[in-house]
Amino acid sequence: MEIFTSGKLTKVKKRHEPGVSKQTGFTSPATHYLEPTIDLNQELVVNRDATFFVRIDGNAFNKYNILDKDVLIIDRSQPRNFGALALIIREGEFKIQHIPIGFSEEEITIWGIITYIIHYAR
Amino acid sequence: MIALVDCNSFYACCEQVFRPDLLGKPVVVLSNNDGCVIAANKEAKAITEIPMFEPVFKIKDQLIAHKVNFFSSNYTLYGEMSQRVMNILGTFSPNVEIYSIDEAFVDLSGMNNFSLHKYGHLMKDAIFKDTGLPVGVGIAPTKVLAKLANRISKKRLENNHVFIIDTEEKRIEALTWCKIGDVWGIGRKHAERLKNIGVFNALQFTETPLQWVRKEMTVVGERTWRELRGEPCKEFVTQPPPKKGIGTAKSFGIKLHDLERIEEACAYYISEVSEILRAQKSCATYLTVFIVTNYHSNVDKQYSNKRTVTLDIPTNDTFKLISAARKALIEIYKFGYRYKKVGVELSGIIPQDYVQGNLFSQPSKLNNEKLIQTFDAINRKFGKATISSGLVGTRVSEWELIKKERSPRYTTQWKQLLTINSKL
Repeated sequence: MEIFTSGKLTKVKKRHEPGVSKQTGFTSPATHYLEPTIDLNQELVVNRDATFFVRIDGNAFNKYNILDKDVLIIDRSQPRNFGALALIIREGEFKIQHIPIGFSEEEITIWGIITYIIHYAR
Repeated sequence: MIALVDCNSFYACCEQVFRPDLLGKPVVVLSNNDGCVIAANKEAKAITEIPMFEPVFKIKDQLIAHKVNFFSSNYTLYGEMSQRVMNILGTFSPNVEIYSIDEAFVDLSGMNNFSLHKYGHLMKDAIFKDTGLPVGVGIAPTKVLAKLANRISKKRLENNHVFIIDTEEKRIEALTWCKIGDVWGIGRKHAERLKNIGVFNALQFTETPLQWVRKEMTVVGERTWRELRGEPCKEFVTQPPPKKGIGTAKSFGIKLHDLERIEEACAYYISEVSEILRAQKSCATYLTVFIVTNYHSNVDKQYSNKRTVTLDIPTNDTFKLISAARKALIEIYKFGYRYKKVGVELSGIIPQDYVQGNLFSQPSKLNNEKLIQTFDAINRKFGKATISSGLVGTRVSEWELIKKERSPRYTTQWKQLLTINSKL
């Protein structure tokens, strides 16, 4: 069943087919150098099963370089290290803050660690 | 050893992951069509005055009065979250048997050098950290015992949601605690008969002579009996058997009386089931269509009928199935009734490679094959029913299920992402 293709090890997408000239039958000189094209899902999402996307509406988080309409990539499985930018829950609301030194899980409820901020530039 | 991992109040918890304002508050989830409550979290269950699993219209005022938050079922979200949980379990064992949307058996054999109790906690913590969903873990030598251990993990708070039956004392204690009616696989009727002969808990059941169990409860009862004694009888099933019949029937949002709209709904359901058929690479031999009026109503005239047709050649082609279903529907449709539901069922399901032709028609090298593949590819990419047969029409919203209070599909739709208000 599909469910068993776990999020950890996914099959690498097919490389570009090496082109063979129909006219001459010569293979492309790049044949042995082909690599798969960059896939952002593989680069930006390390742990698919723990990753969520969240959209920001408003400018309250500008000081973290998070602007209105940005989309955050949040990996819940990342370690909660000092300094990491985290999505937290305070009084039932989502907030963003850096994890302070020596914090305890009782003081701050961490929803997940922000790994990337996607900003639409146009 | 086998672990049974199951999510606590799964549907309600899926909603709460994305709604921290609801943590610690009562949440219920309604069935398709917002008909009745199908899931409630422990806060909602604690409000005992509200009869759960009653039709919503009867208890709506009470729900509102008690500030219970209700949601229409969002199966897209629940299914996706469930897959995350199952994938995470897959990192703990090569053998995971998905038992339902919110529970799975995890094969822990060969791991005797680990502390399985610790391993259970690792699983529980990983799932909570990665998905935000709380789970309970029961570990035992057999499936039936694992199921029981799981119940105990939840019922006794000191266990912290992980319980393991790994000694004879623990097994005896668990069996003594478990009422006979709560044993997995023993139905209400058997439970009554067992009580009549003085069997009130699971331990007493295991002390009942095997001959009696075999005679009165068949081999199914015997398996439960053996499993409770610690002897594994239920195999690990990691590959589900291909479905023998596939069907769908959902009530309309409003009662329909005109044939045209019912045809559209019927075509829509056919698209759904034929997609499942193709996904498992099989074809159907028979097709059943049925319609019913609202039998709860005492003002409406009542009518129901069904028709089964044999397809010329077993197929999984949406278009062929739709046209066959339409013919059958026209035969049973009667003017002048208010219909509540149309349903379709495919049966006689065989692998698509074994389809045989008959004297008059060749086995279908699907003549629509390319079209159908493109069809499926588009719908996979852009979402369910992005394109469909013309017969489905464009008025789905008129008869579709009511999903008034459905939460966004946070994890599958880019336009419905969880949005955080950060207005200054």
